[in-house]
Amino acid sequence: MRLTLFAIPALLVLSACADGAGADDSATAAITVQVGADPEEAAVYRGLVSAYREAGGGEVDLVTVTRDDHLTRLSTAFASGAAPDVFLVNYRQYAPFVQRGAVRPIGPLLSAAGVDTADYYEEPLRAFTYDGELQCMPQNISSLVVYWNRGLFAQAGVPAPAADWTWDEFVATAKALTGGGVRGVGMDPSIVRMAPFVWSNGGAIVDDDAAPDHTTLHEPPARAALQAVVDLIGTGATPDKEQLAAQGLPERFMTGKVAMFLSSRVEVPALREQRGLDFDVAALPVMGEPASVLHSDAYCVAAESENSAAAARFVAYAVGRQGQTLTALGGRTVPSLRSVATSPAFLSPTRAPASSQVFLDAIPHLRHTPVTPSWPEVEDVIGTQLERAFTEGVPLDEVLAEIRAQADPLLRR
Amino acid sequence: MTALSVVFLAPLAVMLLGSLQRPLQPPPNGLDLWPDPAEWANFATVSRFMPLGGLLLNSLLLVVVAVPVTVVVTSMAGLAIVTARGAPRRWLVAVSVLMLLVPAAALWVPRVVLLRGLGLADTPVTVALLALAGTTPFYVLLFALAYSRIPATLLEAATLEGMSPFAVWRRVALPLARPAAVAVAALSGLYYWSTFMDPLTLVSSPDNWPVALGLRNLTEMEAALYPVHLAAAVLVTAPAVLVFGLAQRSFFSSVERS
Repeated sequence: MRLTLFAIPALLVLSACADGAGADDSATAAITVQVGADPEEAAVYRGLVSAYREAGGGEVDLVTVTRDDHLTRLSTAFASGAAPDVFLVNYRQYAPFVQRGAVRPIGPLLSAAGVDTADYYEEPLRAFTYDGELQCMPQNISSLVVYWNRGLFAQAGVPAPAADWTWDEFVATAKALTGGGVRGVGMDPSIVRMAPFVWSNGGAIVDDDAAPDHTTLHEPPARAALQAVVDLIGTGATPDKEQLAAQGLPERFMTGKVAMFLSSRVEVPALREQRGLDFDVAALPVMGEPASVLHSDAYCVAAESENSAAAARFVAYAVGRQGQTLTALGGRTVPSLRSVATSPAFLSPTRAPASSQVFLDAIPHLRHTPVTPSWPEVEDVIGTQLERAFTEGVPLDEVLAEIRAQADPLLRR
Repeated sequence: MTALSVVFLAPLAVMLLGSLQRPLQPPPNGLDLWPDPAEWANFATVSRFMPLGGLLLNSLLLVVVAVPVTVVVTSMAGLAIVTARGAPRRWLVAVSVLMLLVPAAALWVPRVVLLRGLGLADTPVTVALLALAGTTPFYVLLFALAYSRIPATLLEAATLEGMSPFAVWRRVALPLARPAAVAVAALSGLYYWSTFMDPLTLVSSPDNWPVALGLRNLTEMEAALYPVHLAAAVLVTAPAVLVFGLAQRSFFSSVERS
């Protein structure tokens, strides 16, 4: 205990029982699991935990907080030596935790718990491999897709998106759908939304994905992809700043004010609950080569956990057949376990979107953003700057120069 | 005065009306105020997303413990500042102001380390321990300001009469600073009822969280369920409004009498 640091004599008396139960590294010791989730998603994880308990697992104290609060609470907990045994984190955010030595590489723990990583898709495993070791165990393999409103397409007499549609077809579709209070397409000004187009056009975000030294969005292929998006915005086929301030993109899609929008699997539960909304998903349009960007969360075990065996046992259950089926039925995740991803729990055509196969078809050309400790900050910089170009009409070259000036020093840090 | 109260009551009215809207509808265009029909079931639905009863009890316990402690600690500290003379007095005021400038985020980690070390990091009243440090130096300065209006000769005379410092505080200073005490009680009561950042970082188990943090976790609810979120907000706000309604008479009378 760090008690000695705070040797306030009067308070020492109170602390006699502070140490609590000692380390109990049996596989059924009680563990704490923290996830950042909205209320409906939290209900799915509660279901997972009670199923684990019924299946003979140990006690799990599940802490669900909002996504905003998740990293705040984790950072405070790690800094003060009070980390949860297991936490769920996105691959774009886990590198700082690994760098600080907060994560215990999960590979050996999972082998001991009987998990064979060969049963899982490779791309998320690669994204969660750092310093040559699998750090955390991915639970999903989502990617960026186009959500489209079937009703609005029929109304405008526009054909459904083809599996291999080009960027030009995408722009023409967006324009054809625009009119009468409807805008064709909406996309957030962030690097996770733009990355697939940059890659599709033969460009790159950084010079070296494994050890990035500087950003490369200003180089011709990447710049051309971003310019194509700016041109699309210039046609008036996207909602403007005031409209987006009044109502967010998913809500505009729900209410038929935007006919298409780009997002990952995460929107599905909310869209399913909209009565009268007939929607489906389609692959991203292609500029050169097909490309999409990975969206994935993984279970990490805290380095300081005294119950790593029990933690690994829970993770093994959560990413195992039963656990993945439960979360897939919740609608939000694309399972990382191949056998569940190809099962009706995920693909069932009776529940929208009918074309969930699109997520699996994207897997061969999935890529991920660089995994490096400063990435969350780099992402913030790029997002802020892209927003200026997309919504405030700042010239693209000015914005790209600003990205180099601000993001490159972060990467080199 | 009426116009002013309309401005302040409008958000409450929007919250109340919004909580009666039917959930799982498409988000309205603009402000769709009047619910038709009123969906009272939203209030029952709240308990599906958070254990409302338990969290409300935690919050009640927190306020009942933290507010009296805050008033006692800050009123004593304020008196210490006023009775000090010369350099120590300036020094105490300077320290209080300096402490006001420390950003809350800088205190999260030390607080968790300290409370965990003491084994006190996981109770419903963990957050109330902040009251032992007066909650915020602002309350201390508030008391110091109130006491500074009491003639110094009065406090000195009480001491010369042989009264202990405790008796001076209890029988002379505090009764004369009643409006400050009421104000600090009201402000700290509201603070402990509504804080979610402190329990988020300090309290380990969700079972021991106050209701404000439970409500905070509903903020990312999808748009179609907003009426349920607002119903929860009404249930969390109601006790505070109720207490203010009951206490306002004594609140204003204590201010007017001073």
